[in-house]
Amino acid sequence: MHEFNWGLLIVVYLFLGGLSAGLFFAAGLANYLEVDGRPAYPRIAQVGAWLAPWPVALGSGLLILDLGNWYRFYKLFMHFRWESPMSIGSWLLTLFTVLAFVYAFAWLPEAGRQKLFSKVPPAWKLVHRLNVDLSAHRKTLAMIGFPLSIGVGIYTGVLLGAVSARPFWNTNLVAQMFLFSALSSGAAALLLVLALDKKRPADQRDLKFLVWMDVIFISLELFIILPYLIHGQLSVLAVKQALTLILGGPYTLVFWVFFLGLGLLVPLGIEISELAPSLLKGQPFHGDRRLALTASGLVLMGGFLLRYIFVYAGQLSSFRQAGVLQ
Amino acid sequence: MDIRKRRYALVIDSRKCINCKACAVACKAENEVAVGNTRNWINEDRQGEYPKLRIDFEPEQCHHCEHPSCVRVCPTGASWQRKDGIVLVAADDCIGCRYCMIACPYDARYFQEETGTVGKCTLCSHRIDKGNIPACVETCPSKVRVFGDLEDPTSRIHELLATRRYHVKEPQTGNGPQLYYLL
Ligand code: SF4
Ligand code: SF4
Repeated sequence: MHEFNWGLLIVVYLFLGGLSAGLFFAAGLANYLEVDGRPAYPRIAQVGAWLAPWPVALGSGLLILDLGNWYRFYKLFMHFRWESPMSIGSWLLTLFTVLAFVYAFAWLPEAGRQKLFSKVPPAWKLVHRLNVDLSAHRKTLAMIGFPLSIGVGIYTGVLLGAVSARPFWNTNLVAQMFLFSALSSGAAALLLVLALDKKRPADQRDLKFLVWMDVIFISLELFIILPYLIHGQLSVLAVKQALTLILGGPYTLVFWVFFLGLGLLVPLGIEISELAPSLLKGQPFHGDRRLALTASGLVLMGGFLLRYIFVYAGQLSSFRQAGVLQ
Repeated sequence: MDIRKRRYALVIDSRKCINCKACAVACKAENEVAVGNTRNWINEDRQGEYPKLRIDFEPEQCHHCEHPSCVRVCPTGASWQRKDGIVLVAADDCIGCRYCMIACPYDARYFQEETGTVGKCTLCSHRIDKGNIPACVETCPSKVRVFGDLEDPTSRIHELLATRRYHVKEPQTGNGPQLYYLL
C-alpha cells in the first residue's frame, strides 16, 4: 500500500481554512450591502465576523503540529519563496487570520470590549492602548478582507493544484472548486448557527440571504466539477487514469454518493425548494428550521469530504504505474 | 574547472543489472540511512509466468532533475539545487511538511521519523567533492552505473550518450530527470 504523506490533519486544515474564508466573505458581504446607509444584514455581519477567525486559527495550529519539526515552523516566515504555494499561503493565511481577528474585534459592542479589557491588569498599558472603537472602520476592514479571504479560499486549492507530479490535482480547476466550496461552507455554517439559536429565532430575511448565497456557490461549484470530470476524461493519459480513482476506484462511492449527492445536490435541492415559492409565486420566504439545519449540515459535510477525497486520491495519482499507485 | 560548468548525471545500463542490490547496501552503509528507508532501489518488471518468465531489473533513485519540482514547492528553501545539478536537503531548515515528497514525480524522497526531516539521495556529494565517485557506482559488480559530468566532453557518460540510444523516465513531468537509461 502506498503510504500517505499527508493525512487527516491536512484535510481538516484545508477545510477549516476554507471555512474561515467563507465565513468572512459572507459576513463582509452582509456588512457591505447597505439599506439606507446601514448594513443590510447586521446579524449575519456580526455573527460571521465573530466566528470567522477561529476555524483558520485552529486549522493552522493543527497544521503546525503535523509538521515533522513543529518548533521550526517560524522558518516558514524567514523566507518568502514565490514559487512555493505553501510559502505564499503561510503569509496569506497569517495576514488573513490577523485581519479576521481585528474585524471580529471591530464588531464587539462597547460593553463587551470594556469587559474584555477589564480583565487585563491595569499595569499592561500597551495592551490597554488597543482598547479602541473600530466600529467606524468595519467597512474598510471588510474591503481589505475580501481579497484576502478569496485568496485563502483559492490557496487551499492551489496548494494541491500546483503539484505537477500528481495528475489528479494538477489542473487549474481545483483552485476554483475549493474556493466555491469554501464560500458555500461559510454561508452554510452561518445558516447552521442562526438556525440552531433557539433563543433568538433567525430573521427570515437573514435566512433567505444565506440560502441564496449558498445556492449560488453550490451551483458555481457544480459548474467547476462537471468540467473537471469532462476535461479529465479528454486529457492526457495520466490524468484520465488518475480519474479512475473516483470513477470505479476506491473513492468512487464517497465522491458520487456522499460528496456530490448528499453534500451538494441534496442540499441544493432543499435550498431551491425553500426559495421556490418566493421566486415563482412571489410569496414571502418562509424557511423551515429543520430543513435549514439539514441542508447546512450536509453542505459542511460535503465541503469536508471534497478535501478528504482530493487530499487522499491525489496522493495516489501518479505519472507512473498506470496513473495510480498501489 | 569552475563548479558552475559541471552537470553531474548517471547513465544506467539496466540490461546488465542482476538485482544483487549491492548498490542499495553500499548506499545505506555509506550514508548511514536508517532502517526502513531507501535512497536507491531496483524496479522489477515481470512479464509472463514461470517457465516462460522474463524479469527486467532497473535501478532507480533521485533523478537530480534539471527543474526539480521538490525544490520549487519547498516553503523554506531547505530543498535546494547545487550549481552542479545535485539536489539536496538542508536538514536544519527542513520543517518536515513533506510537500517535496508529494511533489516528486519519482517518489524518490522519504521521511525520517527520528529527525522529523526528509531524506534523499545526495549523489554522494561528499565523495564527489573529494574527487571520488558515488558509493553505488563504485560498488556495482556488473558496471550498470556510470557517473560523470555531462559538461566534460572527455567523460565516459558523454561518450555513452553520444553513441548509444537512451531514454529518461517520464519526461512529460517537465522535471528534466538526469538518470539516463541506455536502451
Ligand atoms: S527525482 Fe524527485 S527528489 Fe530528485 S530532484 Fe527530481 S523531483 Fe527532486
Ligand atoms: S519537508 Fe522539508 S525539504 Fe521538504 S518541502 Fe518541507 S521543508 Fe522543504
